[in-house]
Amino acid sequence: MFGWTGKLLHVDLTRGTCERREIPADILHAYLGGRGLGVRLMRDYFRLGPFEPDLPLIFAVGPLCGTNSPTAARLACVSRSPLTGTIYDCSAGGRFAWRLKGAGLDALFITGKSPHPVFLSVDPARDELHPAQSLWGKGVKETVAALSERGSVTTIGPAGEHGVLFANIMMGEGNSIGRGGLGAVMGAKGLKAITVQGDGVTGVADKERFEAARADVMRLFRASPVIFGELGIAEYGTPALVDLMAQRRMAPTENFRSTFFAESGNYSGPAIRKECGAKKEGCYGCPIQCKKASAAGEPLPEYETVNHFGALNGISDLHAIVKANSLCNELGLDTISAAATLSAFGEARGRFPDAAEVASLLADIAYRHDQGELLSLGSRRVAEIMGKPELSMSVKSLELPAYDPRGAYGMALAYVTSNRGGCHLRAYPISHEILRKPVPTDRFSFSGKARIIKIAEDVNAAVDSLVACKFAFFGATLEEYGELLSAVTGVEYGPESLKAIGDRIYLTERYYNCANGFSHAHDTLPQRFFEEAGSAGEGIEVPPIDRVRFEEELQKYYRIRGLDAEGGFGGRNLLAELP
Amino acid sequence: MRDQITKYTGKLLADRSACADGIAFAAQDDVLITAGAPELAALAGGTLSRLNSLALVAARPSLPFADFLIARAGQGEECIVPQDTETRTFLHDIPFLRRQDLPDDPGPLLARLLGTRKGVIVEGIGIVAVGAITVEQAFINYSSVFHSTFVKYLQDVLADGFRLPGEREAFDSFRRQWLRPLSATGLDFIPALSQEKEEILAEIERVGRYTVERGLVDSFFGNISAVAGELIYISQTAASLDELRGCIDPVPADNSSTTGITASSELLAHRKIYEQTGARVILHGHPKFSVVMSMLCDRKAECAIKDCWKDCPHVRELGGTPVVAGEIGAGGLAKRVPPVIGAGGSAIVYGHGVFTLGREGFGEAFAAMVDVENFCRDEYFRRVDGAKG
Repeated sequence: MFGWTGKLLHVDLTRGTCERREIPADILHAYLGGRGLGVRLMRDYFRLGPFEPDLPLIFAVGPLCGTNSPTAARLACVSRSPLTGTIYDCSAGGRFAWRLKGAGLDALFITGKSPHPVFLSVDPARDELHPAQSLWGKGVKETVAALSERGSVTTIGPAGEHGVLFANIMMGEGNSIGRGGLGAVMGAKGLKAITVQGDGVTGVADKERFEAARADVMRLFRASPVIFGELGIAEYGTPALVDLMAQRRMAPTENFRSTFFAESGNYSGPAIRKECGAKKEGCYGCPIQCKKASAAGEPLPEYETVNHFGALNGISDLHAIVKANSLCNELGLDTISAAATLSAFGEARGRFPDAAEVASLLADIAYRHDQGELLSLGSRRVAEIMGKPELSMSVKSLELPAYDPRGAYGMALAYVTSNRGGCHLRAYPISHEILRKPVPTDRFSFSGKARIIKIAEDVNAAVDSLVACKFAFFGATLEEYGELLSAVTGVEYGPESLKAIGDRIYLTERYYNCANGFSHAHDTLPQRFFEEAGSAGEGIEVPPIDRVRFEEELQKYYRIRGLDAEGGFGGRNLLAELP
Repeated sequence: MRDQITKYTGKLLADRSACADGIAFAAQDDVLITAGAPELAALAGGTLSRLNSLALVAARPSLPFADFLIARAGQGEECIVPQDTETRTFLHDIPFLRRQDLPDDPGPLLARLLGTRKGVIVEGIGIVAVGAITVEQAFINYSSVFHSTFVKYLQDVLADGFRLPGEREAFDSFRRQWLRPLSATGLDFIPALSQEKEEILAEIERVGRYTVERGLVDSFFGNISAVAGELIYISQTAASLDELRGCIDPVPADNSSTTGITASSELLAHRKIYEQTGARVILHGHPKFSVVMSMLCDRKAECAIKDCWKDCPHVRELGGTPVVAGEIGAGGLAKRVPPVIGAGGSAIVYGHGVFTLGREGFGEAFAAMVDVENFCRDEYFRRVDGAKG
């Protein structure tokens, strides 16, 4: 078999066992890897609560990982989110995925709960669990340093150990498995860290075809202004979006009360380059290198982070924002949810936190001290407990990122149809509504958006299963990645067959969520977006979203997906129909 | 979506790439809609309903070049590989279906082919192109297939002459009737562009329309800019040259803002040209005869370079205009064009298109592009006639 190893490592933390098991080839062909494989492996467990010991925590790479495919040294982490209650996955880069594949594995399937803290080491020669009492309580940097001789490291910080609902799993290279609190799932299992050390090579079925497809991908990267343009993400990282979002009047500000922050230029891409001496970094083997680090090697914040610790909390001091980002990385906190929770908290109490208070509150959250006990629950629960539920800017309890839905109606729809809550990456309509890729669409119109969002969700579910980086698709398409996949595996794939796989994955996720009580009632935006206008300027009006038109498009979306008016399956046993 | 179908049907008619009685679109949101010529509309609907895409166009090209390419292809061949670098970058290859291989219901077969490529040629029927997320995208893909088959057919005729019954007559008809004289006569330009933003934006919009209306380029193939002090005003990526209102980015010369991340992929080339020439405006398009002629090289037989379009280090000439190689975007084009364009005010990029300059306004740049294309058109037919003789 080319592309896949056909094996997963089954780890039972309760019994302390590690066992390599076969994955049926037909499952790999039908779900690819990454998110798709993880979601399929959740089939017998999706009803378990996020902190139940038997709930699996799955790390899965894809068939392109370990080859020279651009941006494909990634994995997906899949489980059920304690923050949202939904099925959850997150794509992450770094070196860990490449090392995992090199160790001869397509996936780690971790279940059970260890009676005492442990870490897992994965090695082609031996997979085993080790005591980790001495690491428990340590920050991310110290843990990574302590284990680095064992290969690439992924670990939780204090936030994961203490069950913060938006705790991350941090990769040793500065990447994170973020947003949905899978760090807390890992912490509840008593698993502090995982190390992987493999250098096996992924075989390619047709090398000549592979090289041709790779050249096509690279040519499209070079033709994309968003990727390799002189103002693009290779140069400035995702903070390249700061100026654009300000100009488009859709940068969430002060808990989404407005959509323009006059001082955002302080943390724009060029400002970060100038102030922090930003240099290029990135995931293993990625030609884009969109990550940026300071001259001292400290990872610098992404667009979402600078906006949310900046405009969303009314803070314009770049160095305070960088510090907040570093604190989150060290404590193992998700920056978007942390900043958005602070912002909701700030509006509810009548005062947004200043830079100094942000730092102390982040530490309190990670250790669940004082006000951190409340804030560790995320904005939805915080706002409810404070008696102002309308101030949580979240969908299905996941805090919204830095694209105001009043400024992009596809984004508005995609936030509510996302299976993991208010996330921008499931359909990523910013690509066409703002960045004009592959073609521009009218951001202030719902026309056609139901179909567009459905298609994009399918595409991205496939991308998350290859696993490739979404940024690659600012230039390339599934045409070129289908060629790469066919060349690597020797199995024919193309855009339509990959989208069909994406549709299968998406519907499975939706089915799991519906079985756990999610329905049309959860597919909505915070009230603010239907009632308050954003900030007008430069000839751009940002009116409230028309609720009737929004609902009409959502119902269209359900019909296109084959769902009933409640967004459900109407008694259909989807899982029985699927491989 | 019906308004979009009406709009892009109109564009296919305006650019004369499709026959008036041979255009149909299909689009689907929660329901499938079709419009246009009944048989083609049925084909379009039957194909799109099998695809996870939003729109599809099926149209009969106004020129028979695509059918000729199929008829000239060898027995085992199943696709056409575009020769110009622009469409080759995005299309890779164009599958075709021969008339005799067409089943009674071609929808499933077409859907299978469009499952891996953006456009398909069906002999005797036309070009079928898909738009994954918009009707406009289907139109762009149709235009790309039309452009690439046009360029390849003209290249093949020059290389191999006519091979099929009726081919010579059709070519003559194309030459005498379909082609129209290119000129800048009667167009209004601001002679010396001021530094005033509104004037610059309006002039860029107007010149963009001119390039399409005069048949110099198809609407999605090119970009335009003007420099004013520390700002470059440049058309956005994926912008239609005849619809540039609201699609022009002001980009600071010192990159102090990244608002221009949506600017054309050729921003770097424009910036370097301004730095090295002192020009006020730049016009870039893909006029077809210039693209065809740029790929003719007398030294191909003895040259070791295979990927001429990106690797050729030589500067050749077409009527005094320098021809250089180079990839689009962040590739080599931005390095090779600026040093050669200053002297004569124009440059051709191998298999790609033409850049022209205006030192004070767009009149000079537009006239230069017309001159380059007219020279290449005349030279092309001179060589065809020479080969015939």
